[in-house]
Amino acid sequence: MSEERTIELLIGPQHPGSGHMRLTAEVDGDLILKFEPNIGYVHRAVEKIAETKTYVQIIPLVERPALPDTANHNLGYVLALEKLLGIEAPPRAQYLRTLLAEINRIHSHLYGIGIHGIFLGSSTMFMWAFADREPFIELAQQLTGARMTYSYIIPGGVRRNLPQDFKVNALKALNYMERRLKDYDKIFVHNPVTVARLSGIGVIKKSDAAKIGIVGPNLRASGIPYDVRKIEPYCVYPDLDFDVVTREEGDSHARLLARIGEIEQSIKIIRQILDKIPEGPIFLESYLKLVSPKMRDEAEKTGIMKFPALFSALRVPKGEASSRVEGGRGEVFYYIISDGSPQPYRFRMVTPSFRNVIAFKYALRGHRLADIPAVYGSLDYFPPEADR
Amino acid sequence: MAKPKTQRKLIGADVVGHLEAIGTGIKYLFKPRMTLRYPEVFQDFGPNYRGMLKLYTDKCISCTMCARICPSNAIKMYKTDAKKYPGITYQRCIFCGFCVDICPVDALEMFGVHDIAYYGLEEQVLNPEGFSKGPPIEEKPKKVKPRLDAKRGLRYERT
Amino acid sequence: MVFVPLIFPGLLTVTIVIVVLIWFERKLTAKVQLRYGPLYVLKPLGGALQMVADLIKFTFAELIVPKGSDKKAFILAPILLFTLSLLPVIAIPVSSKYAAFFSDLSLLIVLSLLTLTPIFVLLLGWASDNKFSFIGSLREGFMMMAYEIPMFISILAMAVTYDSLDLKHIVETQSSSLWGLILNPLAAIAFFGAMLMTTARYPFDITEAESEIVIGPYTEYSSVIFGLCLGASYVKLYVLSLFFAEVFLGGWNPFGGLESLHPILPGVAVLAKGVIIMGLCVFMRSVYPRYRIDQALRLGWHKLLVLSIVSVVLSLGIVGLGVL
Repeated sequence: MSEERTIELLIGPQHPGSGHMRLTAEVDGDLILKFEPNIGYVHRAVEKIAETKTYVQIIPLVERPALPDTANHNLGYVLALEKLLGIEAPPRAQYLRTLLAEINRIHSHLYGIGIHGIFLGSSTMFMWAFADREPFIELAQQLTGARMTYSYIIPGGVRRNLPQDFKVNALKALNYMERRLKDYDKIFVHNPVTVARLSGIGVIKKSDAAKIGIVGPNLRASGIPYDVRKIEPYCVYPDLDFDVVTREEGDSHARLLARIGEIEQSIKIIRQILDKIPEGPIFLESYLKLVSPKMRDEAEKTGIMKFPALFSALRVPKGEASSRVEGGRGEVFYYIISDGSPQPYRFRMVTPSFRNVIAFKYALRGHRLADIPAVYGSLDYFPPEADR
Repeated sequence: MAKPKTQRKLIGADVVGHLEAIGTGIKYLFKPRMTLRYPEVFQDFGPNYRGMLKLYTDKCISCTMCARICPSNAIKMYKTDAKKYPGITYQRCIFCGFCVDICPVDALEMFGVHDIAYYGLEEQVLNPEGFSKGPPIEEKPKKVKPRLDAKRGLRYERT
Repeated sequence: MVFVPLIFPGLLTVTIVIVVLIWFERKLTAKVQLRYGPLYVLKPLGGALQMVADLIKFTFAELIVPKGSDKKAFILAPILLFTLSLLPVIAIPVSSKYAAFFSDLSLLIVLSLLTLTPIFVLLLGWASDNKFSFIGSLREGFMMMAYEIPMFISILAMAVTYDSLDLKHIVETQSSSLWGLILNPLAAIAFFGAMLMTTARYPFDITEAESEIVIGPYTEYSSVIFGLCLGASYVKLYVLSLFFAEVFLGGWNPFGGLESLHPILPGVAVLAKGVIIMGLCVFMRSVYPRYRIDQALRLGWHKLLVLSIVSVVLSLGIVGLGVL
């Protein structure tokens, strides 16, 4: 009778520390010998459904996979669509798009930090991070009318104008967040238990990071300063002044610190946007002319734009276009092939979590069973976004 | 017990970290809570919150644009005698507001009602007559308005 | 004779203290986390009867015994665990005239009985037919390696200081001299650390690490025996807090004079001091994440062991200099 030394653990979907995926670990005592992620549990065929819908109908579809990070996905898709249509949004609309994208980045990172906290056992960090998302969700709701799935960015501009007291409220929320980051430092980020749990764990070396192709804060924490907002700028990022947060160590603590640093940079960006935003229209003139004059006047008065009738069956010239944006978790890539009909011929969407799955196999070599939640939380992997 | 000096330095840095963490915990014992006690207290979302819809049948011109742009096919046209009017099913509506924005005569209006409970799935499918009644607007007794605050983040004020 | 094990500070007091303690832990943690905690069961008092509601739920839930498990061990192990955790209370005197039985070795009896509890946790994890429970119970065995020796050595320091192994004598000596906490703070810190480890309070919540092993050895349990499992670690906390109050915080001093009214009244002072210690242990939940098992072992063997040996040296110095 053979003696079994190793145990095969299925940290499956019905597990408090696994999310919507299965992790198969072969454990010898406490050491991990083999580790495989098994994704696809929440695959919903977003790319195929997009072939049956018209271009404007795809906007809410594209937001739904990555729920904490909807505005960046929305922005990426509309940028690709605008390249196909050959139009460009007016400047004020571009500022408003960037504003929503940065607010979304802050509360997406807070989501990731909160989940990391509960995986390590600190329920205080989880509750604080999710409570602190609430001021930003409230700000986004004042701007767009919805709390999480905004559908705010449309080809040609944005849907609603800035409310009157938005700047005052936004500055209050940003001051609050800066003060809270200091408390996060003391109770979680530099807590000796967290540092002991996260330093030196899940190291992805610089050469490995470039070879396996991870993206987002995970890449920047391994020492490679690659940020799509600086490499291939879109919207108003060329006019804004911010740093790319890079750390050298490449372990889980560095990834946590990279996310906290990005929240600070986003706060800086939002302050600059609110100072610099120009006056002007928020929707493309040539589209707004197609709406009846009575509706146009009402739109100017209330600040809520009306769609032209063209949007119900938008015909896009033949061709193909791609676009890249920097989402909360990394680079999102869109590719649309159009054949002249109202539905796209092929719609391809590569999400950052899908690119980060490979990091599980590299980061956990030679580690212990208790390091699995520490590394999982630090990679900020969101299964519905990876499975689409 | 090797290298007592470096160990003492390490113990020193660690002890400071522990004391700071415990001190922050004690500091937050005296701060006010941030919870909204729903459903005893209701949040007033403001004038432009996206919620359930109402159809104004006298304004509708039967252009069927709302049915064509709805991303989840929630709006369907119903034919009555000569004219067509839209009906909606809340099984599918995602409250995106595209139909309101595309209607050329402002025949659809969004109210901020978002939390209605139904007894059965069939009640959520509304024909144009049910659609024109609009969502049931109840006067909620305790409404609070969220106000952003630099010290507390979000504060709820009685209206 | 019967009053102590059953009523005070035995079974009835333990039930009341644990019902209030778990509620208090949840409310305290919730206040730090900017939320309410349990709220609805007895609304004006802020959900105070939540644990009573939970106990009633445990009583009426269905007891599921997995098919591949060892049925006798599965059902008996939690019962024995709870009983053994509560047993040391018979050796703790609550005043100089009132205890279940007086003995010269009451300090050793309390500690030795508590060291037997991890065996039943090992049995719990083995009896459920589940890999995660198995790993969790092995972790409990490892933790026992980490905390036991520093615990005994730091208490050895106190026994050397007070020159006795009898809890009644230790408390009576503290009425005329300084409390144990001020005489030998290193032993108090080492014992406090070992106490956090043995009762699985954060940051040493390793046996029941929920994000890694689905609540560890207690995964397959339901209904009454699950309540006994979780209650056992709180009962151990209760017993160790009373012990800490007697050895380090002066026991029933300065209320020793109340004995003349009724022999049991000084015990209220012991209970009050124990409750303060329990509150402190429970507060750690809102501040710390959890350690990994090898880091906890390293902490026990490098830092706590060194601290407890230094505290023994300090005690010898105190006795030699005649400070007492």
